[in-house]
Amino acid sequence: MKTIPAPAAIEPISVPSGTPCLELRDITVRYGRGCDHCRSGEMRAQRCTHCGSVYGCRDVSLDVWPGEVLGIVGESGSGKSTVLAVSNLDIQPTSGSVKLLGDDVSSAEGKQRRRLRALALGIVYQSAQANLLMDVTAGGNVAERMLGAGWRRYDAVRSRALALHTDMELPEDRFDVPVGMFSGGMRQRVQLAKALATSPPVLLLDEPTSGLDVSVQARILDLIRRIHAEFQLAIVVVSHDLAVIRMLADRLLVMRRGLVVEHGLTDQVLEDPQHPYTQLLVSAQL
Amino acid sequence: MSARLGELVHRNGGLAGYNYAYMDESAKREVRRGLLKAISLPGHQVPFASREMPVARGWGSGGLQITLSVIEPSDTVKVFDQGSDASMNAIALRDLISRTCEVPTTTDPREATLIQTRHRIPEDPLVEGQVMVFQVPIADPLRRVAPRMTVSRRLHAERDYSAIWLYLYEDHARLGRSSFASAHPVEVEDRYIMTPSPIPRHDCPRLNDAPFISLFGAGREAIVYAVPPYTKVRPLSFEDRPFEIERFATGCALCGATDTYLTEVDGDANAQLVCSDTDRCARRRTR
Repeated sequence: MKTIPAPAAIEPISVPSGTPCLELRDITVRYGRGCDHCRSGEMRAQRCTHCGSVYGCRDVSLDVWPGEVLGIVGESGSGKSTVLAVSNLDIQPTSGSVKLLGDDVSSAEGKQRRRLRALALGIVYQSAQANLLMDVTAGGNVAERMLGAGWRRYDAVRSRALALHTDMELPEDRFDVPVGMFSGGMRQRVQLAKALATSPPVLLLDEPTSGLDVSVQARILDLIRRIHAEFQLAIVVVSHDLAVIRMLADRLLVMRRGLVVEHGLTDQVLEDPQHPYTQLLVSAQL
Repeated sequence: MSARLGELVHRNGGLAGYNYAYMDESAKREVRRGLLKAISLPGHQVPFASREMPVARGWGSGGLQITLSVIEPSDTVKVFDQGSDASMNAIALRDLISRTCEVPTTTDPREATLIQTRHRIPEDPLVEGQVMVFQVPIADPLRRVAPRMTVSRRLHAERDYSAIWLYLYEDHARLGRSSFASAHPVEVEDRYIMTPSPIPRHDCPRLNDAPFISLFGAGREAIVYAVPPYTKVRPLSFEDRPFEIERFATGCALCGATDTYLTEVDGDANAQLVCSDTDRCARRRTR
């Protein structure tokens, strides 16, 4: 990593000590108006039978400290990605607060949100199309984040993008090739390089290895572990794959129907699951 | 005001039955209102109620509406197209303006108070008080990178210009230079990114800190924007990849000028580079 030029042109975002990098408190995301019945908190279903409102997640709290990896598991539709989208400031929660680096950013919009996304957050999606421009080169995709953060020196942008590119174990001769021509595993590596371009303190991973074959999965997971060790980032990883979570996460939230049903240290939760759903999840193997 | 101008219509064989300057007064006022807003927010695209004009949209109807809205009987008008006063488009627009507005026309930019142009700025230095009106085909500099207007408007509002910078990065990565031959995007007063209409790169730096007013009109897209006098206009470029204007191996084949923008004429075997600004070229030759 010594060879990677520091993001000097950017006014760096400072990470205050003694606070979590990312802190969600009682986050509820509701689609629909809501009614007395479902607002009361007694209703635990995801869809209110009275008013038809749908809850993406309810009363979810989490915090992630520097150098820590938090895993979120749960079946499809359990609200994992909703929680991640709130963390990435993509959607504003109906209620609850989001704190990023100690600042309340629950209602961040426009410029402020863009600045936080550019400097404080990096994200990797399962589908590279959601994050990368397929007809833009690998270097360009990584450069975009630096350009968005205000870098205006071509050589500095390019050399840092290239250093990240090779550090993500991508072949140097593919640097100026559009990512549409890349394999799935390589696209994930480009996403990681892009996420790290501005050295953000928080990295969000949404099913980073789903859909890849097992050998590529293993190498991407190794890479994520190395990134974590080198950069001491706060990482949130969302997956339905317990093997991924077991390998990466220090702590774990188990979600079901928009609610957190269990949380604790990864080993503890997976070895000694308390909630019936977690027990089912752990015992379920093809 | 409108009554006084209305009386002018029939003098010197103006078009009977039409209001002064072709458009009716309320339509002109609407355009001027847009222009006032545009001048207050340099580089910002302002929507306006673009009218049907007696020229097809895409043939200078935006520039024409601006010209007709701001013109006064005391103005002297020059209309030119790609540097030439003799092109069909320029002749047709000049004819319409002179017949409906009762104003003298000229080909000499130094005599003109109002200059409507397609894709050039006159080579002669312009002075305070002169007004340039540009015909604009595509008003949004982000059109290539964000084709959806709803998206593009948000990007302008939030000053989120990473997409156009990425476009420039890709140009340098693939070509080693910017690929904008004309309409090179410019940053106005450190705020909006604006397209200077398809003028050659040669003309871009001449918008910076210019003493004249620049008004831009896109009739088809119903957008006006403006650069007031003495405004900072900086062509978009990386700090370590400076913006460059066109370079020509030779001077003008007719007048010998080496500091002007040249175009190739007479194709193939007889190809030669001559001044794109034909009026200035002719004046240099007769001097």
